Amino acid sequence: MISKLEKCPALTLAVIAVGFTIFAYFTSFPKITDFMIFCVFVLGFDLIYGHMGHLSFGHMLYLGAGSYGTAMFAYFVSPNPFLAIGCGILTAGILGLILGSVVVKTSGAAFALLNLALNEVGAFMVLVPFPEWTGGEDGLSVYFDSYGFIDVNNPMFWFCFCLVSLLFVCYMVIRFVRSPYGIFLKATKENEIRVKFLGYNTYAYKLVTFVLSCIIAGFAGALNTVNLSYTSPSLIDPTRNVEVIFAALMGGAGNVIGAVIGGTAYMTISNYLARYIVRWEMFLGVALLIFAFKFRKGIWGYMAKT
Amino acid sequence: MLLNVDSLDVQYGPAKVLHDINIHVKEGELVCIVGRNGAGKTTLLKTIGGFMKPASGSIEFRKDNLQGVSLEKVARKGIKYVFQDKRVFGELTVRENIELAAYPTDESLTEAIQKVVSIHPKMEKLLNSKAKGLSGGERQILLIGRALVGKPQLLLVDEPTEGLAAKIIGEIIGILLKMKAQISMVVVEQNLATVSRLADRIYIMKEGRILREITDKALIQQPTLYEDDL
Repeated sequence: MISKLEKCPALTLAVIAVGFTIFAYFTSFPKITDFMIFCVFVLGFDLIYGHMGHLSFGHMLYLGAGSYGTAMFAYFVSPNPFLAIGCGILTAGILGLILGSVVVKTSGAAFALLNLALNEVGAFMVLVPFPEWTGGEDGLSVYFDSYGFIDVNNPMFWFCFCLVSLLFVCYMVIRFVRSPYGIFLKATKENEIRVKFLGYNTYAYKLVTFVLSCIIAGFAGALNTVNLSYTSPSLIDPTRNVEVIFAALMGGAGNVIGAVIGGTAYMTISNYLARYIVRWEMFLGVALLIFAFKFRKGIWGYMAKT
Repeated sequence: MLLNVDSLDVQYGPAKVLHDINIHVKEGELVCIVGRNGAGKTTLLKTIGGFMKPASGSIEFRKDNLQGVSLEKVARKGIKYVFQDKRVFGELTVRENIELAAYPTDESLTEAIQKVVSIHPKMEKLLNSKAKGLSGGERQILLIGRALVGKPQLLLVDEPTEGLAAKIIGEIIGILLKMKAQISMVVVEQNLATVSRLADRIYIMKEGRILREITDKALIQQPTLYEDDL
């Protein structure tokens, strides 16, 4: 079953769709909508971490860019939710292209820390210099129009929209990593210099991957803003990068199903464990140690192996 | 002249490791560079391949200066490198390893696979296996085959038989001899028995310098006559 899941994208998407619908039916549709949006973010992050092998400590910047791009468009230009989402994605993509042209020249610790530094700058820009545009510490509350049954304020419609969005992102990532481009990514992760010796301009390929990852993160940020009708500096907070890193590690980096499992597992722990354990973050720390030492390939990696 | 290396000096930080190197390779020639460990053979090969920047001197490939040219551009000019450590892309299958080599060239995947299979027919059965599961000899054959994809003009081969069983060494030598008719090669090798079977010309290196050039075919085939120079 597990090997079939890995080989057949249609089966993967069907299992994800059915799984989230059942989970939502027994819990709450708005809550599982949150889960799915986070999974979109993890998928974007995993493209550069799991597939390309570059750990970033600053991907919240692109989630925040998507979120603020959407909120500011809705606040200042038009309350059309779809145009606002498009604006959020574009903001994250352009920012990713500009900053990515510098950061993909680095690797290892320099890549991780440069991204963190840029994330810090982004968070500062949101908080301090332009509060009249970004809402400063208070964030921005926005309103979105509805068009007949297309109503983003309706939890059921919005759940379906986010589910389709997640499936679309999953499908695109699966297609991407199974294309010749995916072979290039795997090889670059193993040994970039050797890939250059084969005649590849690895810089250009890495930049495209980075921008794509930022676009997906921006999409998650945009969905988050529409979901909450609100954005705040917490969505660009550099300290929250650990959440997406943890989710990718826990699920199994470098795999679409692993990213979805990791995102769901992280959100389940942070939403439900907090009810029973006050300092639930400590549990995350212990869990991370266990994953780092015992299950390096994450939940999905372990399941696929056994 | 296919390759012309003129007055080449290379430094690792302040330490000079190659001194005034002058070598050349003609079309269709197999040139061996021999010497003991630390003589600077691999450094010379890496500098020709664009991996290291020379401190002074020039490297011309078909009269194009290679100095300051990036690795990928050197590869696209038709110079391919087979590394000493036999590291393939282990997480990729054999087919994907070949596919990766074929994309930057105008050779189709089918042609590329055919080329690798033609030098070692057993490779056909291994196409869908992960490359990390291959033996040392199979890895070397895959690396040589992969380097041949895209009609390269010069192959730089670093210690092709190092660490391999005698039977496999014979097979590798057979492959290199077969390829000799199609492509020019610079082979770094310590094993003089292998060199005597392969080389059209030999450069002996010692302490970062070219000590001697041997062009006489009869002499090349009698390693005992020049092994004391190493």
